[in-house]
Amino acid sequence: MKEARFRCNFSRSLFLLLLIVLLCSPLKVRAATFRDSLGRKVVLSAAPERIVSLAPSITEMIYFLGLDARLVGVTRFSYFPEQAKEKARVGTYTDINLEKVVTLDPDLVIATADGNRREDVEMLEEAGIPVYVVNPRRVGQILEAIEAVGDICGIAHRARERVGSLRKRVARVEGAVQGRGKPLVLLVINVKPLMSVNRSTTHHDIIGLAGGRNLAEDQPITYPRLSLEEVIRRRPEVIIISSMEKGGEHERARREWFRWTTIPAVQKGRVHVISSDLIDRAAPRIVEGLEEMAKLIHPEIPWH
Amino acid sequence: MEPGLTLKSISFSYGNHWSLEGISFGLKKGELVGMIGPNGSGKSTLLRIMDGLIRTDTGEVLLMNSPISRYRRHEVARQIAMVPQEAIFRFNFSVLEVVLMGRFSHRGLFPFEEKEDLEIARESMLRTGTLDLERRSIHELSGGEKQRVLIARALTQKAQFILLDEPTSQLDIRHKVEIFELISSLVRVQGFGVMVVSHDISLAAQHCNRMLLLNKGRMYRIGSPDEVVTTDTIREVYECPVLVDKNPITQTPRVTVLSRRSENTKDIAVQPLSH
Amino acid sequence: MALRGTRDQVVTPLRVLSIGIILSIVLAAVAFVSLSMGPAKVSMGTILDWCAGMGSVDQTTSMILASIRLPRILLAGLVGFTLSLGGVVFQALLRNPLAEPFILGISSGAAIGAIGGIVLGLGFSVGVPLLSFISALATILLVLGISSRHGGLESSTLLLTGVIVNAFFTAVIMFFIATASDSRLHSMLFWLYGDLSQSKYIQFSVCLPLVLIVSGVIYFFSRHLNLIVGGEEPALQMGVEVELVKWVAFIGISLVTGVVVAFSGIIGFVGLIVPHLMRIMLGPDHRLLIPASALGGAVFLVAADTVARMIISPSELPVGVITAFLGAPFFIYLLKRKGSQWNQD
Repeated sequence: MKEARFRCNFSRSLFLLLLIVLLCSPLKVRAATFRDSLGRKVVLSAAPERIVSLAPSITEMIYFLGLDARLVGVTRFSYFPEQAKEKARVGTYTDINLEKVVTLDPDLVIATADGNRREDVEMLEEAGIPVYVVNPRRVGQILEAIEAVGDICGIAHRARERVGSLRKRVARVEGAVQGRGKPLVLLVINVKPLMSVNRSTTHHDIIGLAGGRNLAEDQPITYPRLSLEEVIRRRPEVIIISSMEKGGEHERARREWFRWTTIPAVQKGRVHVISSDLIDRAAPRIVEGLEEMAKLIHPEIPWH
Repeated sequence: MEPGLTLKSISFSYGNHWSLEGISFGLKKGELVGMIGPNGSGKSTLLRIMDGLIRTDTGEVLLMNSPISRYRRHEVARQIAMVPQEAIFRFNFSVLEVVLMGRFSHRGLFPFEEKEDLEIARESMLRTGTLDLERRSIHELSGGEKQRVLIARALTQKAQFILLDEPTSQLDIRHKVEIFELISSLVRVQGFGVMVVSHDISLAAQHCNRMLLLNKGRMYRIGSPDEVVTTDTIREVYECPVLVDKNPITQTPRVTVLSRRSENTKDIAVQPLSH
Repeated sequence: MALRGTRDQVVTPLRVLSIGIILSIVLAAVAFVSLSMGPAKVSMGTILDWCAGMGSVDQTTSMILASIRLPRILLAGLVGFTLSLGGVVFQALLRNPLAEPFILGISSGAAIGAIGGIVLGLGFSVGVPLLSFISALATILLVLGISSRHGGLESSTLLLTGVIVNAFFTAVIMFFIATASDSRLHSMLFWLYGDLSQSKYIQFSVCLPLVLIVSGVIYFFSRHLNLIVGGEEPALQMGVEVELVKWVAFIGISLVTGVVVAFSGIIGFVGLIVPHLMRIMLGPDHRLLIPASALGGAVFLVAADTVARMIISPSELPVGVITAFLGAPFFIYLLKRKGSQWNQD
């Protein structure tokens, strides 16, 4: 009897000890908790070595930070830089192939709130994959997002350095246009129907930083469909058409504007095309887009 | 050959089995032919063949000695008018408008009716007792009224051959008689050639010059009403117990349908009524 | 002029002419009012001055009226005219109250061409409309070809083939939409809902002659349609060359519908609702119904497009949204209405 009780106590203690050890294990391994731009907690046990990007803009960020060696999966339209074409594809950013992602065995997935579907993010989390979501709505936020990605990948110092050079360029533009008049700018993101952007977009932020005023800023809809009449009535001084290709239909669209001769932009020949990759994407090249825009809005400044 | 509407060795089939086979006969002007036969014997099909609406597999249909297929539709419409069994009007045309449709083949390029058309239409409606329905919508009419309107419409075509597919099926006895009398007078007085399909065998026998009994797509009997309408022929073709005797007043065959029970009762003597 | 209720007797040339004139006046009035509406305020007086060619109108206003509003109104009128014409004819030939010119597959056929053009990056002036028109025509010929037996067109086969073609092509269209990049997507969607913005005179001029010719031919067959509505066989019996009418009408209507849709996109409900309305008001005789529906359709679409322009001004809605909003409830009302001019069999 006594023996039995002794054995029982011993088993119980052993069990308790095991439990404690198990509970303490996570604390033993070195882990980091981050908060992403949506306030979600993202826990990583180590600096990620296998990263999947769920948007072309994020892919660009990763290459910019020099982390491309760790990149194992990208979305279909990730064509920039060229090398990204060789990475494995996981679907399009509105339609992620979750199976493919899981097969790649990532330890970090980076998603964007502007495009990726919430269900996809949730499914990945349930599969035990940490997902970090960025959500930049302003140029400044884009730069912060790049830094955050650098942090989470354990290269905070390098990230700050590189983003720092981007910040310098932004500051330069801001400085150059300060004090000058702000021409009224129409940014055309779609030709037929005629669509522009309101104040809640990154494009609007770029126009502002580049020293212009967004014609459609007060529209209630994010990508409002404008009537041509309204544009004529408002008399923009610069018209910028955001396009996927230089030639083709957007060149034609550019010429189409020349009919409306009462618009100051037309009278002064200030109808331009800008590559949409530079301003549509929440990526490092947005600074290039900003510089382009600034040149178009303030051609009188001696940019070099 | 007397010009008329002639069928020669007509055969026609739907699918695998023969629908009509070996039909040859002619409809002449100034005669009223009654076509009778059980459901499915091919009567309606035959009428449509006679109007050139169906192309037959063998044989030919001649209208005034020319194959009917050579005529344009409006030319046929001026010679042959047809009264279908029923008509479905998806729109609420007025009765006058419906009757005026029969004038289609007479209108040239000008798409509107002239005084003459209205007169002819009203005359037709008068003769079919439908003149007071002129302004009513065709939807509101009873089955019988609609039938009479369709006849009026056919009359406006001013065609010399008229084919009627069960024109009295929905009429009460007074109107049945009126229609047959109208058809008769068209034949006697105006010399039309008329073929009428009917289930009112007795009434048809009263008025028709000739009758045609169809059975399973073949001509079973053709001739005068006395020759065609007999107890044996009717019983055999319709597969139903009947008594055919002579109507004492008109002296034409009279068909009485018996129930199966009374036929089996052999002690009921089958006798003509004596007067 | 009396409405149907008073049992005005047979349709006469005078009645057709008077209804035609009245509707034309209404159309002119609606067009005039529409000219004055837009984000830029233009008063009626200014418009009158402009019409009279007075020099007192400033260049901006003049440009807006002449280059933006007027071509759009003209095209809207023409498209509405054509779609309603097609609606009347198809409803008669197919003897089906739900018929409209898109029922045989023109809509999805044209859409595939247009979307293909958009994907290929063709221009909206020539490339996209041309591809849309060719595609619509090919679809119609396909449907007519499948449905014809011994040179005759069977209505029920036509309808069924049209439904199947529409379903299949819609699936293809959905595929394109699902795989479209954002920049193309908006263009595709607005084409699918009908978009009259950026209309040009050249579009109107290209469509007008064809529409006039086909309308004339169709009007010639208006008596024939009256008879066909009562049944193809009775019509044949009374002398109508039914197959000829069907081929000419189907091809003619498909041609003009394909042409206008190439420029305007798919604008639904016009071809369905306007003929019904006109039939209720003026009766079923096509000699009156055809011109009334066509003109009525023009009025309807000019009005709808004006609403589309004004309702969230200075932003715009696609006109198909307005016609759907107006059309759908009206359609339900029609279905519930007893004795709705259609005798169910």
